[in-house]
Amino acid sequence: MEFESIEDVMKRLEKAGYIASREIATVVFLAAAGNKPILVEGPAGSGKTELARALSTCMNRHKIRLQCYEGLDEAKALYEWEYAKQLLYTQMIKEKINDLISGADTIADAVERIADQEDAFFSERFLLARPLLQAISADDPTVLLIDEIDKADPEFEAFLLELLSEFQVSIPELGIRKAKHIPMVVLTSNNYRDMSDALKRRCLHLYIDYPEPALEAKIIRLKLPGIEKRLADKMIAVINRIRELDLKKRPCISETIDWAQALAVLRIDEITREAMSDTINVICKYRSDADMVKASMDRILN
Amino acid sequence: MMHLLLKFAAVCRSGNLRVSTSEVIDAMTHLQWIDFSDEAGFKAALKANFAKSRRDQGNFDRLYHLFFHEMQTSIACDPKGGQNDELRQIIATLRENEDLHEPVDQALIDFLQGDPAAFLQEMYNLENREEYRSPALKSNLGQLSGRLAVMLRINALKGAIGQASTGSGADPAGGPTAERLLGRLDRAYKMLTEDNRPNNDALKKVRSNETHFKDIGERSFAALSPAEILQMQEIIKKLVRKLRDRMGRRYAAGSRRYLDVKKTLRHSGRFQGIPIEIKYRQRPLKKAKIVALCDVSGSVWSAARFMLNMLYSMQDCFSAVHSFAFISATTDITEIFEKHEADRAVEKILSSRKIEFGALTDYGEVFQQFRRNHMHLVNKRTTVIIVGDGRSNYHNPREEILADIREKCRRIIWLNPEPEDFWHTGDSEINTYKAYCHELRPCRNLNQLVDFVEDLVL
Repeated sequence: MEFESIEDVMKRLEKAGYIASREIATVVFLAAAGNKPILVEGPAGSGKTELARALSTCMNRHKIRLQCYEGLDEAKALYEWEYAKQLLYTQMIKEKINDLISGADTIADAVERIADQEDAFFSERFLLARPLLQAISADDPTVLLIDEIDKADPEFEAFLLELLSEFQVSIPELGIRKAKHIPMVVLTSNNYRDMSDALKRRCLHLYIDYPEPALEAKIIRLKLPGIEKRLADKMIAVINRIRELDLKKRPCISETIDWAQALAVLRIDEITREAMSDTINVICKYRSDADMVKASMDRILN
Repeated sequence: MMHLLLKFAAVCRSGNLRVSTSEVIDAMTHLQWIDFSDEAGFKAALKANFAKSRRDQGNFDRLYHLFFHEMQTSIACDPKGGQNDELRQIIATLRENEDLHEPVDQALIDFLQGDPAAFLQEMYNLENREEYRSPALKSNLGQLSGRLAVMLRINALKGAIGQASTGSGADPAGGPTAERLLGRLDRAYKMLTEDNRPNNDALKKVRSNETHFKDIGERSFAALSPAEILQMQEIIKKLVRKLRDRMGRRYAAGSRRYLDVKKTLRHSGRFQGIPIEIKYRQRPLKKAKIVALCDVSGSVWSAARFMLNMLYSMQDCFSAVHSFAFISATTDITEIFEKHEADRAVEKILSSRKIEFGALTDYGEVFQQFRRNHMHLVNKRTTVIIVGDGRSNYHNPREEILADIREKCRRIIWLNPEPEDFWHTGDSEINTYKAYCHELRPCRNLNQLVDFVEDLVL
């Protein structure tokens, strides 16, 4: 087994720079033990993609990333035949082909002889592996990150099913490719649309929410070791109060870290009105949100 | 363990979670690796297998608590062994009781014994049963009276427990076992009355403060004078032209062509293998399908007419637009809008005899009719737009139909023409419906409408 226990997962993830809650660690542990993909949901900036990075670091595996978007298809995600190369090769070995069929008595015979060589043109040499095929055919085990799966079309989701349950892909010309090593698969979703039942059935589900204040403090101290405890606690209290507001985009853990960095660079060690309005753009990504925070500044700071 | 897990899976299924056999097998395997003394881990393992989206998690937590806490502690883990016999006796007496032979009673007795699956199933059936009613006699009491019947059964059962426990010779007040059984029935009673809606964190609430137009853009649709309506139509015409131009540019960018090698090679056969004729891969942009449901009662209609006006003048941006007007029943108005110019169409609809203008708005009925007659219009490329204030005159809201539509469509967008402060007051069901929408927007004036349409097409 990859991990010994849930505690082991937590410890190793922490060493890789990721503080996991017990729930996250449990799901990661189970996924690693049972070779199951993890479907991670949660608000933007809560560390979904970061989890995959930390996993690849702590398991000492390569990370292969597939970013999904509308219109993503098999040719971009799985494999493509390198037609240009095939064409070039045919031109180069034209004469050789002439030699090959020179002794043939009938056309049927000539066709037969060429057909014998067909495999040469549909072989690995002309196959351009895209992330999914790379993950499956890699010599060492990998971590495969399929990012923002909800942005891809529903058809693409259907096409992932074979990969996620059997860890194999079918290439019509070559047959079925089985994975040499089963990759650790992490799918992330921002809840832009609902996933199909078939996909959900093949994955373990994990929801990463805004972290508990204690956990968030731990994360900040890990990312910025020099930060004063008093300041960090105050920051987290403020951020949590901002999260209670009815904002378009609530600040997540990544915004908290950015904010802490901004404060450190500006050498601010006291959160005051001025400090807040100077750095508000780090926390709020929309102007209307920033305005709303400014309007309720008194409540937030006390 | 196996038995317990299967029972819990059954409970989840009757509690409206979709748990497949393969998930139960996975959960069983996973539990072997988990330390049971750590409840958080145990729960996380089950949750990862049984609740596979954020929407289901609230429901899972509720069922988990019910099954593993409320159902297990009070009766099964009896500190003194002796009372278990008493319990068994009471249950046996209840099972033999002639008056308690309806399925609901049996489900309730199962519930008393610690197996809530049958009772949850009863509740689920209650919420999802079809109501057939004559249009003349309007009543939304079907579901309510169904619940009332179950409540009455609970009371009958309470009486029977009292009798059974005193009859068994224990102290006349009914021993602690009976008391706990009664407590559990109270829990069942509470479950009947509590609401259970999915977590809808992902709901996009849009409150735009953008001012595209001053003055007229900020005036509520309902407060426009006839002259202003004319002016509004001019503005909309201009806007539509602008949006279409932008759309066209996007298509131009989208139709940038890529070499299709397969096709080119196939065609090169004609020229001795030399690719003279270059073929391109063409991937037309997918256009969305729109289904619009518009409340045509009073002030709501003023917003809907402008929206439909806009959607129809941009028909070529979508692959199909279907629209329905409703008050207490749905009427297909697609054809009217396709054949006539916007103003005429609006006039025609408002004088249409097919729409019963005197009736009271009833969203539940409307959804049910839509599901029965027009559900085939909805598929994964359809955006469903509902324009309405969600005021259903205290009729049954039938939100489960909206959940059904959500499963089949791409997005549900709800436009509410009411001022936001009134959304959750009186007979407004917007809170109920909100849990099943992808997007909820106020739509009272031109600025908000423009924002919405821009978002939709671009």
